[in-house]
Amino acid sequence: MEKVLLGFAAALAIGLSALATGLAQSRIGSAGAGALAEKPELTGTVIILIAIPETMVILGFVVAAMILYL
Amino acid sequence: MIVRMAKVEIVGPKEALLEVLGLVRERGVFQVEPGEGRGGTASAAHTASERNLLAEQLFYEELRRKIDELALCLPTLEPRQSYLDPRRALAAIAALVERHGALCREWCARRDELRREREELHRQTVFLDALAPLLEGVLADSALDFIGVTIKDPVAAAQLTAPLARLTGGSYEVVTAGAADGTAIALIALTRGDAEKVRHFLNAEGIPELSFPVQYRDLPLPEKIGRMRRRLAEVAAGLERVEGELRRFAQRWAPAYRLVREWLGDRLSLLTVTAASEETSMCFVMHGWIPLPELPGLRASLNASFAGRVLLEEKLVLAEELDRVPVAIRNPAYLRPFELFSRLLPLPLYTSYDPTPFIAVFFPIFFGLMLGDLGYALLLVAAALILRRRWAARQRLRDAATVLLVGSLYAAACGLLYGECFGLPLPAWLPLRELAVDRRHAVLPMLIFSVSVGAAHVLLGLLLAIPGELRHGRRREAAFKLVNVLILLGLGVLALGRFVQLPGPLTATANVALLALIPALLITGGILAPLEMLKNLGNAVSYARIMAIGLASVLVAEVANRFAGLTGDLLTGIVAAGLLHLVNLLLGVFSPTVHALRLHFVEFFGKFMDYGGRPFQPFRKPVEPLNPPSPGGRGRL
Repeated sequence: MEKVLLGFAAALAIGLSALATGLAQSRIGSAGAGALAEKPELTGTVIILIAIPETMVILGFVVAAMILYL
Repeated sequence: MIVRMAKVEIVGPKEALLEVLGLVRERGVFQVEPGEGRGGTASAAHTASERNLLAEQLFYEELRRKIDELALCLPTLEPRQSYLDPRRALAAIAALVERHGALCREWCARRDELRREREELHRQTVFLDALAPLLEGVLADSALDFIGVTIKDPVAAAQLTAPLARLTGGSYEVVTAGAADGTAIALIALTRGDAEKVRHFLNAEGIPELSFPVQYRDLPLPEKIGRMRRRLAEVAAGLERVEGELRRFAQRWAPAYRLVREWLGDRLSLLTVTAASEETSMCFVMHGWIPLPELPGLRASLNASFAGRVLLEEKLVLAEELDRVPVAIRNPAYLRPFELFSRLLPLPLYTSYDPTPFIAVFFPIFFGLMLGDLGYALLLVAAALILRRRWAARQRLRDAATVLLVGSLYAAACGLLYGECFGLPLPAWLPLRELAVDRRHAVLPMLIFSVSVGAAHVLLGLLLAIPGELRHGRRREAAFKLVNVLILLGLGVLALGRFVQLPGPLTATANVALLALIPALLITGGILAPLEMLKNLGNAVSYARIMAIGLASVLVAEVANRFAGLTGDLLTGIVAAGLLHLVNLLLGVFSPTVHALRLHFVEFFGKFMDYGGRPFQPFRKPVEPLNPPSPGGRGRL
């Protein structure tokens, strides 16, 4: 039972942060697409901006790993 | 690297100003700064001289505008060398340019009109060519009328039969033929009495009847065709005549106009810069910046050309001027391709750092750690070498291929360390095989390793920030960065103590130091200092993505291999695994690139980079053509 709960907690940690990342990326992505329509030279910057919210899912992953392995 | 700049003043006799500017422009290493109104007493002669220069500038600008207008009408011809002295030809050209302009504009208008008419008639000939064979058997009967329609294909003509039979009582005939542009033409032959009803029906159904220019609209179709063909021949001959006139004019006059225009461009660039110099009734003073290595060369040139009459003096750069020093970036050949990434950032301040060397050192390491597969890396090395050869002449693409090559070599090295090749374990006889870390199972060690790499990177960023803060006289901020570094080190020691047995005094020292550093953190950084500290910790943890992306990559590769085994057929298995590996390889290039850059731009450079530098723009001859071509290929002399 404890293993199940640990697995569930790890899944929640990574799943919720992945949802949050997806939500943030969708908004940044749509704004970035608008910016690129006017200034195509911003392509590199926009790609980097889209990668920024991924910190959330990485942190979620770290928490999940700590739940399972520590 | 940011090139060291020297602040200089050039002083000389006033009459030599344009000559000095000419020499400076020739060398192309000096950025002229606008004068700040220091010294110099304005005299009547000074004002008159300025007025003369302004009048000269306005005259040249007006003349250049007229030449540009004329150039818009002329065809582009093979450039021919003119041996005129542009300065002597200037008066004659100024007198002629308006007359020539009016003449060429008239020819141009006529040419454009004829071209439009030719295009219109040419469009009709597509239909005429299709209609001609259809009319051959029916022209004799004058009681008939003909309606031509364009349809998508001959099958569509069959759909017209029922309504036509209803409207004409069956007395009609439809023949179809393909036109040169791929559409189909249907010719409907019917009695004149029925023609109006059928036209009304076609309009209502949105079926386009062949349209002809207004002057031919009321003529019978066979006569339309004849007249339009005759007009097309006349228009072609007229167009040939006008274009011949323009070509002859361009052959005769364009080289002279081009030469004068180039001279005007040169002269105007000099005159524009004279406004940035300061003058007295006797001499001029010009301020500016020059890369330090170029200073002796410019000084020697000025001495050689003006025999000591013009002086170049290096001035002291004041502390308050440091942020205004123009920034020029020059890197050795190995680092230069990585400027592709540093150009995505704003230009750094002169007192800050060029991000390129940091990216060149750390980007390939992060890329390699994330991809870390020998098979993928060797494929990418091959692809990068091919692309470098293919794009040898296209600098940016070649740079991208070079970056890919360096990153792939690091990935190959990391592939050996991880013992991976297309997601499979490497054979035992390969070097370092016994030391290989299996990323699929060593999740926690890899996580600790990634965060440790992040902590080291963040610490380096904080350490690099300290000299910058001190240079700007911000001692408190420098102390704050130092306290952050010490706290991170202390936390690192305590974290290490969880996994390995550390000497007792070391752990105790770290604990005491942390306790002592907390007040120091609050004193140097204020009430928000703990938040900044947490941000630094978060930045270090963010490097966990190195491990996370690598793990995702190796697991996808493993899935591809298992998937291939599940198919039960060799060929299908190879195709399925190949496709999945290809997708993984593409992700393996894109994702590590984006994340390695993000780690630099956000986590690392955020610690110490100061952006907002002024680009170094030396005074030099323009490289681009002065009058860009118009979309129609005209407009260049």
